[in-house]
Amino acid sequence: MTGVVDAETVTKRYGEVLGLNGFSATFGAGITGLVGPNGAGKSTLFRLLAGQLKPDAGRLTLLGHPSWGPGEFRRRVGYCPESPALFDWMTGNDFVTTLLRVDGFSRSEAAERSARAVAEVDLTQDGNRRLRVYSKGMRQRVKIAQCIAHDPELILLDEPLNGVDPVGRASLSALMRRLGSAGRQIIVSSHVLYEVERLTDQIVMIANGQAIAQGDLHRIRDLIDSHPHVIDLESADPRALGRALGAWDHVVSIEFPEPGRLRVLTRSPDTFYAALPELVLTEGLSVRAVRSADDNLDAVFRYLAEGRR
Amino acid sequence: MTGALGRLGTVAWLSFRGSLQGLRAVGLAAFALMPALIVAAIATAHPSPAVLADAALDLLALLVLPIVAMVILLVLAVGQFRTEIDAETLVYLSDRSVDRPTLVVGKYLGAVVAALAFVLPAALLPLAVANIGGGTIYAANVIEAVAASAVLATLAYAGVFLFLGLATRSALLVGLLFGFLWEELLPLLPGDVPRFTVIFYLRSFLSDNVPNGPLAGYPGAIAAGSSVVVLVLVALVFVAVASVAFRYLETAPEKETA
Repeated sequence: MTGVVDAETVTKRYGEVLGLNGFSATFGAGITGLVGPNGAGKSTLFRLLAGQLKPDAGRLTLLGHPSWGPGEFRRRVGYCPESPALFDWMTGNDFVTTLLRVDGFSRSEAAERSARAVAEVDLTQDGNRRLRVYSKGMRQRVKIAQCIAHDPELILLDEPLNGVDPVGRASLSALMRRLGSAGRQIIVSSHVLYEVERLTDQIVMIANGQAIAQGDLHRIRDLIDSHPHVIDLESADPRALGRALGAWDHVVSIEFPEPGRLRVLTRSPDTFYAALPELVLTEGLSVRAVRSADDNLDAVFRYLAEGRR
Repeated sequence: MTGALGRLGTVAWLSFRGSLQGLRAVGLAAFALMPALIVAAIATAHPSPAVLADAALDLLALLVLPIVAMVILLVLAVGQFRTEIDAETLVYLSDRSVDRPTLVVGKYLGAVVAALAFVLPAALLPLAVANIGGGTIYAANVIEAVAASAVLATLAYAGVFLFLGLATRSALLVGLLFGFLWEELLPLLPGDVPRFTVIFYLRSFLSDNVPNGPLAGYPGAIAAGSSVVVLVLVALVFVAVASVAFRYLETAPEKETA
């Protein structure tokens, strides 16, 4: 195999629990989506690629180097972890600049690159605020800024759109497309196929620690479309948002499970995700976060996983 | 680009600043003031200047070095790795091109300098209070020896606890056992057993440098210079072992999310 990232029967255990179970896949150039439900092994794979974990068995390389172990090649890799944890006492600018300095950039170059990266993720205005006051979306963006600031060849983004508001999602998706078209190799994980699909048609699907499908997006899409899709939203005014969404004919039902939240069942998630940002902007509605529930995807993944046995 | 020293300095500066943030730093500062407050409380009873002077030095050997300095170093040095692994922030450093021994040494230096901001006042303020409250004037060599013992305690305990933070997920508990059982009980045993503790060399150093007063009562069989060598060696060995351990350590938090 000669991909940007090659995995050959990689296994990783957490005690009795299998994080990856003989995972084999090749991630080529451009943007590749790693899609699977929560607990499928996506973050384990990213942690292995980031050198945080050591494979128990198998072979995992990135840019031709073994994933486990130190090396200057790490400067060619950018990693945006799933966890929202940051050095909360730092400012956004300080965070990105300091990590560049750790990577060996001079003070002036680090400051220059940091300013550029922070601007790329639309955080310039908030760059001098402490990270502890950042919203979920801002935290995701500053994590991406530190990940791209050193201009890496390979960018690893673990659930980068999780918890980001619709406008932020559109902006980050556009950033990822820009990076991809600028020749960066990107692996982006998500449990929402629709998010990844708008970025790339190269998909690796993972379930139960194994790669269950690669590339064949249309077959997977057909399967998923046959299941109604559950989407959770957070809003300051869920009633107003619910009224607006209720007018869409593909929306099957709307529930208000708890204050500040609503759950939408839609037959056409594609249309939903595409139209939501415009609705929010034109109607002036509040949407703080959008999440896709896993239930419907789980059924598809189970189907695919069982089909392989 | 900057070299290894620039990266080391950045890691140390990051660790130093991180160590002085939040309620933890406020708590440590309050803890570090405790010996001075005790001396101030004694001073309110108007003892003779000699009694107050001896009380301040006694506190150094009985409270400041084995308890106050030890606890401050435990919190700060263990936090350099274990707390960051659990908080999932270590990844921002460990996935960089900087080599792992540089990270360990940088974090050690950051922790040492941050700890000195607490340990030095904890050691020296009681003497200042004795001076203000009782008119005691300590000789320069006494003040230098007290300051040096605080620095040596910081160097040695920081090395031990930094290593513990990498070696075990229960570093705080193991560190407390080390501090309150190993360091407190072994010095009470006969023979050469006390030589296996850090506090033995700290007290020997003080005893050799301050031969008059309460500190003279501690075992001084080892010359101050030898004590310094042993304590610096303890620090170097533990930092070296921590560097080796960190090369092979998985730094993801222990949980089953996959």
